[in-house]
Amino acid sequence: MATLEIKNLHVEVKDEEKKVYKKILKGVNLTMHTGEIHAIMGPNGTGKSTLSETIMGNPKYRVTEGQILLNGENVLDMTVDERARKGLFLAMQYPAEVPGVTNAEFLRAAINARRPKDDPIPVMDFIKELNKNMALLDMNDSMTERYLNQGFSGGEKKRNEILQMLMIKPTFGILDEIDSGLDIDALRVVSRGVNAMRGDNFGALMITHYQRLLNYIVPDVVHVMMDGRVVKDGGPDLAKKLEQEGYAGLRDELGLDIKLVDED
Amino acid sequence: MLSKTTFQELSSKYNEPDWLINERLEAFNLIEKLLLPKMQQFKYSDWPLTINDDFALEQSALKISDNSELEENKVICQDIFEASKQYPEIVQKYLNSVSHFNEDKLLAYNTAFMNNGLFLYIPDNVEIQEPIEIEIVQNSMSKSALISHIVIVVGKNSKAKFIQHLSTVGHEKNLANLVVEVQALAGSNVEFSSLDEMEENTTLYFNRRANLARDAHVEWNVAFMNDCNTVGDLASELLGEGSYAYSKAIAITTGNQKVAVNNRVINRGPHSTGLINQRGVLLEDSRLIFNGIGQIVHGAHGSKADQQNRVLMMSDTAQGDANPLLLIDENDVIAAHAASVGPVDPIQMNYLMSRGIPYAQAERMVIHGFLDPVLGAIPKGKVKDRMLAISERKLINGQRSYYKNKK
Repeated sequence: MATLEIKNLHVEVKDEEKKVYKKILKGVNLTMHTGEIHAIMGPNGTGKSTLSETIMGNPKYRVTEGQILLNGENVLDMTVDERARKGLFLAMQYPAEVPGVTNAEFLRAAINARRPKDDPIPVMDFIKELNKNMALLDMNDSMTERYLNQGFSGGEKKRNEILQMLMIKPTFGILDEIDSGLDIDALRVVSRGVNAMRGDNFGALMITHYQRLLNYIVPDVVHVMMDGRVVKDGGPDLAKKLEQEGYAGLRDELGLDIKLVDED
Repeated sequence: MLSKTTFQELSSKYNEPDWLINERLEAFNLIEKLLLPKMQQFKYSDWPLTINDDFALEQSALKISDNSELEENKVICQDIFEASKQYPEIVQKYLNSVSHFNEDKLLAYNTAFMNNGLFLYIPDNVEIQEPIEIEIVQNSMSKSALISHIVIVVGKNSKAKFIQHLSTVGHEKNLANLVVEVQALAGSNVEFSSLDEMEENTTLYFNRRANLARDAHVEWNVAFMNDCNTVGDLASELLGEGSYAYSKAIAITTGNQKVAVNNRVINRGPHSTGLINQRGVLLEDSRLIFNGIGQIVHGAHGSKADQQNRVLMMSDTAQGDANPLLLIDENDVIAAHAASVGPVDPIQMNYLMSRGIPYAQAERMVIHGFLDPVLGAIPKGKVKDRMLAISERKLINGQRSYYKNKK
């Protein structure tokens, strides 16, 4: 069993206009194991995406305090690609477009980066695995030869993120708003992909605004974040309760003095 | 320089027709009088691009890929010296019809001393499916200049693709002077790709130019993968109404190499379209200048000129310039340009690395994508594979020295 621990994490991000650092995460604590699916919910501007980007190592975010440990090993000392090879994966909200590099070429490079130099994945094995996963996600064959994310629709990009996760088989997958901009059909397909990964050797951390996603991918644990901290943990019922009462309701119940971003 | 009489003797030794000998003589007399072609912000007057000591006018051959389509369609595809004897009228009509030897010193030099060349004539209404491969290898095992001249005529409503591959054997310090003239007749469709990989002791001048008649369509895909100092001009003259040219060039420069390219598209005919796209990657101490020159002359109403010149810096000591120039003398036109000089895109880098791809490999992938406008347009085959292998090798070497210096 693998473990991902986030301990008292404080993170700030540079405001490019004002050239000052702004505190986003103010002491996040969270522990997850393989075999578990966790969901993080929370109002806008609460630091959910910052948390996922920081776990993966996006250089835009600066950790000022705290730790991220993968099986006891300090992740913060590792470069982005090292973290990925150690088993972390982030399905991004806005995947970058890379013209000139085909999807297939990219996937093969990512898989081979995890294997010894003299033992790349055999071409037939790769194609078999790719076809299987594309079928699972209802993806068109032409997607393999298209340039990475270039000209992909919002839905195609999300599917492509899940395809990568299925191919790379990480230990922990972080899914940053994988449901945003998806219609019901696409949501079903993407969920099918994530559910196919469920098992003893995989753990997921899903970030979402809406409970809807959790009907398709039922979480074991739900965390609610507000103002840069996890303020409440619970089971799937917590998500349903939030859907009914809203974040303001929970805030008042917990007696927190937090102003929600979208509140006037 | 050779004396005039020796020159005449040498020239007649090969039984060239009188008109050609006369043209050579005329050109020869102009060499001293004409200036070097002008390159914006680039000085190269000390480069050995014309030779002052004696040399034999040794004629070397070039190779064309076997292509049964050519014979079937009555295409003339011959060594230029053979063609000038067999088809004197057509060769005389088209040789120096796009670029002219009285324009500058190096074009005059080319006509005077031309020792390699090809004449390719595709009749009207012919569509050649397979790309025509032209292989030119400079023999630098000994001292000898390569002075090459290719004339391509694509007939009305005809369609053809060409791939040129230019390389060197040996390491002698030699000059190469390379002229390509393309006459794209009305309604024709021409794609000309080139992989240039000359050895580092070479000094290269090139002039590749097309004249486009009404509704003609020309696409250039030129990859400057040379290791040598290079200067030259890639140009498309949009003469006919509704003609279209897309002029693409990429370069990877290394070592102390200096490269300057003028990429010009001139809209003369109304409703013509001229596009330029240049991408350069600079490594080590190299210098690269990409001048994009879009010119719309008075009368070319309803025309479009658009250009992109982008340069990627992979070294702190390299010097790169991407200069867009728009010269517009007509009101009813659309013109735009974009230029950039900078490092690789950090967002693309972060994305690739977040999938476990190491920094250096991710960087090469991003650069590969950056060069895609030309790399992706080259027809599949030997030359393309070669091009990908060269660019990968150059980038790996360049990265190695860059990161070594950083540490």
